[in-house]
Amino acid sequence: MTSLAITSPKPAARLDRFSLGLLGAGALLFAAVLVYGGYLLTVMQLAMIYGIFCLGLNFFMGYTGQASFGQNAFACIGGYGSAILCVQYNWEPALALIASMGVAGIAALVIGYPTLRLRGHYLAMATFALGLITYDISVQWTSLTQGYMGYAGIPPLGIGSLTVEDERLKLLCLGGLLLVGFWISQRLRDSRFGRGLRAISGSENGAAALGIRISRFKLIAFVIAGLYASAAGSLFAHTVGFISPEVFGPQMVIVTFTMLYIGGVGTLIGPVVGAIVASLLPEIFRSTGRFQDIAYALVLLLMLIYAPKGLSALGALFRPRKDKGEA
Amino acid sequence: MPSAVELVQSLVNGVGIGLIYGLVAIGFCVIYNASGIVNFAQGVFVMLGGMFAHTLLTQFGLPIYVSAVLSTILVAGIGVLVQIAIINPMWRRKAPLFAIILATLAIQLLIEQVVILTLGDQPRTYPEFTSGGPLKIGPIAIGYQLFWVLGCGALMVFALTQFFNRTRMGRALRACSQNREAAALLGIPVERMLIVSFALSAALGAAAGILITPTQYTAYSVGGPFGINGFIAAIIGGFGSAPAALVGGIFLGVIQSGAIVFFGAGFKNIVALTVLLIVLLFFPSGLFAGRAKSA
Repeated sequence: MTSLAITSPKPAARLDRFSLGLLGAGALLFAAVLVYGGYLLTVMQLAMIYGIFCLGLNFFMGYTGQASFGQNAFACIGGYGSAILCVQYNWEPALALIASMGVAGIAALVIGYPTLRLRGHYLAMATFALGLITYDISVQWTSLTQGYMGYAGIPPLGIGSLTVEDERLKLLCLGGLLLVGFWISQRLRDSRFGRGLRAISGSENGAAALGIRISRFKLIAFVIAGLYASAAGSLFAHTVGFISPEVFGPQMVIVTFTMLYIGGVGTLIGPVVGAIVASLLPEIFRSTGRFQDIAYALVLLLMLIYAPKGLSALGALFRPRKDKGEA
Repeated sequence: MPSAVELVQSLVNGVGIGLIYGLVAIGFCVIYNASGIVNFAQGVFVMLGGMFAHTLLTQFGLPIYVSAVLSTILVAGIGVLVQIAIINPMWRRKAPLFAIILATLAIQLLIEQVVILTLGDQPRTYPEFTSGGPLKIGPIAIGYQLFWVLGCGALMVFALTQFFNRTRMGRALRACSQNREAAALLGIPVERMLIVSFALSAALGAAAGILITPTQYTAYSVGGPFGINGFIAAIIGGFGSAPAALVGGIFLGVIQSGAIVFFGAGFKNIVALTVLLIVLLFFPSGLFAGRAKSA
């Protein structure tokens, strides 16, 4: 496969041994939790959901090199879309999920078109404002969202009469969906489009000179990230069965960015690994509530300062020196 | 349709809160101009100012003026700490812009949670600096605290302009904002200037928090809204001079209290954020710079 946009000696990113090892460790953890059961099942389920969210975030943040601090807005649309359609109108959960993704996609398109012209701090602030507006609306528009009360009794995921009630089965399904999301993101990353995105992150002027339509590429990446976030929001609603505005509040930004940075921004497996590690670690330390937020913030700060490339980049230490530049 | 009295009253309230936004906005500008960093944790300084002043006032029984000054100094110290412990290491490692923004967001969350743990999560307030009031002009009521806000705001803006124009350190800060490399070549210690800018902007935020707390309340979570609104004010003012930021703040405050009259209190943040998006998209370099081509 030759590309007109970018000539690279390594067009398709193959997983090196270290990344495979990390993925294997993740899979082992997954299996262990599946066998062990109990409370950890819920933690792992959330890890899968966050993984899907981070995959989308990684698309926009990692590959395209843009910042969106407002992806929780789309998770909010997804979650509330699912909740409202299922509880108020008795829709099929799967249908509600897809419909909310559609709404989130259109919202991302409409919002992204003007917003993505901004750069740097302005883009960061505009997207952050987006998340806050959505949060405020979900609190204030009580006739639609029931305010702080939230929605309870959201049916679990399923098709027709076949519903997934068992916790282990739920986890398996979410794991499967995460794999699908991962596969899509991997295919997209190595496509002509994905390489274009990475070119934009390298240099916008350079990418433009190579004939990449910057604004369109950015917008598509933004929409893809929004779709992932919306799917994650819907899955959260169906898995937990309850949502309230706090679920999609500003903390979500910190938590998901911590995951992304732990896993490694812009790497293929980073989002998945980061979501699993960052979800399970607090459980190991048995730190709850406020300490958990503090731990997330501290870990994020330390990662940002000392290891901005995350866990997946540790593989570079074991790689022969000549490969390093291309990794 | 609200009556004329209500409108004028909301205008007065809007000017009061707008001045506070303006002070926070100046804090944003001071750091941004010295370093190119937007400190998204700016609102935390406002919260800390009010919280510390309240703690000093009630727990240690200090008079209000002493606790105000002490609290400002303490918060300035925290600003320095944040700069030295987190921003400077990232700055030295040439961390990308978004990483620094994210770090300041994490700092905000961290400080808020630490405040909950140490000072509690209950909202609190303390009496106005001057008892009595409000001043009645016809049916319009103006709290005495508003005059304190006005006076202190004007004093601080005046002092800041003097500082930036007359003192050696202020001029060095301005040199950093124009060209950091050239400033460093001329022997200006740029990193030390960054520390000064963080201390200055933290002190400004703290002063804003101390001044506004008597008219409303303070709690661990008030930092976020103040930070956002201050940033919006800074954007309206164009991230340039202190007076422009102050005017931007008043503009925002008036719009917000108008929105409360027309739509209800719940929508004030939504209106403010919408103003932000409009300004960002159509006037990226501020309302006073005319329409620019791009951000």
